[in-house]
Amino acid sequence: MQASRARLFKEYKEVQREKAVDPDIQLVCDDSNIYKWTALIKGPSETPYEGGVFQLAFSIPEQYPLLPPQVRFLTKIFHPNVHFKTGEICLDILKNAWSPAWTLQSVCRAIIALMAHPEPDSPLNCDSGNLLRSGDVRGYRSMARMYTRLAAMPKKG
Amino acid sequence: MAKEAEASARKRKASDDVGPEGEEPAMPEPSLLEVETKSGEEASNSNPNPRDNFLFEDDYGCASLCDDNVDIMQHYSDICAVDAVKIPYVGDKEPLSSLAIEFQSGSPILQEKIKLLAEQYAALRRTRGDGNCFYRSFMYSYLEHILETQDKAEVDRILANIEQCKKTLQVLGYADFTFEDFFSIFIEQLESVLQGSQTSISHEELLRRSCDQSISDYVVMFFRFVTSGEIRRRAEFFEPFVAGLTNTSVDQFCKASVEPMGEESDHVHIIALSDALGVHIRVVYLDRSSCDPSAPTVNHHDFMPTESSTSNVCLLPRPRVTLLYRPGHYDILYPK
Repeated sequence: MQASRARLFKEYKEVQREKAVDPDIQLVCDDSNIYKWTALIKGPSETPYEGGVFQLAFSIPEQYPLLPPQVRFLTKIFHPNVHFKTGEICLDILKNAWSPAWTLQSVCRAIIALMAHPEPDSPLNCDSGNLLRSGDVRGYRSMARMYTRLAAMPKKG
Repeated sequence: MAKEAEASARKRKASDDVGPEGEEPAMPEPSLLEVETKSGEEASNSNPNPRDNFLFEDDYGCASLCDDNVDIMQHYSDICAVDAVKIPYVGDKEPLSSLAIEFQSGSPILQEKIKLLAEQYAALRRTRGDGNCFYRSFMYSYLEHILETQDKAEVDRILANIEQCKKTLQVLGYADFTFEDFFSIFIEQLESVLQGSQTSISHEELLRRSCDQSISDYVVMFFRFVTSGEIRRRAEFFEPFVAGLTNTSVDQFCKASVEPMGEESDHVHIIALSDALGVHIRVVYLDRSSCDPSAPTVNHHDFMPTESSTSNVCLLPRPRVTLLYRPGHYDILYPK
């Protein structure tokens, strides 16, 4: 599809231009395949993910931007809306609420927002969702913090 | 930081060292342990880079990623494919009698209304009920109108309005590259139906394009951007309508119910599109409303674009686009 390629190329140029604007997001296109991207996002402050760097994998369909990109976490994360094993993300804009007004960059921003504001009522990670739903915020935070330290932060000397 | 430390201290009962050495996995509730201990052990297995152990890629090949999601998407596109065979995006012109046949065992009120419709309208053209039917009907009906009238003045007028819509989106903060492809596809269609009777595309070609996803869906999306831009630009005006429909903010409404493909259109959307492009739309209602059984009438509503500074409106005695509404669906109607 020529249209998706053209659009992705525009996004690529935009990402190069915006690099300095959003230091929390680093989006990189695969050298040989414009339909594969990865992103590094910083865990939002004042959350258990603070200080962590999380890697996302984007797989973009040929009908993009009419269809959403498929995005998942490559870095393990304990979050109600992220599948603990596959890294799949439950986020409406990646499914039925998608529109071409979104971009790869703004999807990253939405995922950062989701990290800061979990939706425990539609959990992909039930253990995490149940902790929040039962009001055990401390339990959730400590688990999430532990995995952030183990998986998303460089180990200190 | 203090809070997390406190939390994990609580879990581990006593320990108060929360330095780097305190990063041995805290022991959570037993129910969580089954999954977690394995990776926890791996992590503490003196691997210099524990992050490696937590990359999903190591354990799960790409093929298994988001299987559910892929299944759902596949299932959805299967359903779409089945629909596509039954009803194209835009169908052939049919005599109004086909509507009568469809309802011959239906409500007598509707049968009566169809008879009345037949007095004023000659034919209809069906569109697929995929949530985009209003935009798709509008697209075909408007382009066909231009194809038949070769009305250069009208095309110049709508092009000026489209330019305004573009500025509106820019002012609202949309990046050009998110909408410009959709705008240029529609402008291409406009230009190809207005090239004089010799070089313009044929009705058959217009129909083919309207059924070609790579054109048709792009035009639908163009209308969605225009509609969303107009609603946001006049958020104060539209707010009460939006609140009545969905109880959300104008912004959320546009994100959730205007911009995504497949989201159905309501009065609000039609008002906005009609205003933004300055096109008079008539919607004829085939439903059971306001019915005196002895003297049924067919209601219609005219969406007359409001005069505003940004859209120059050309009012005609007859609407340019006439649509037939049955609850939940729009088709194209042809006046006699």
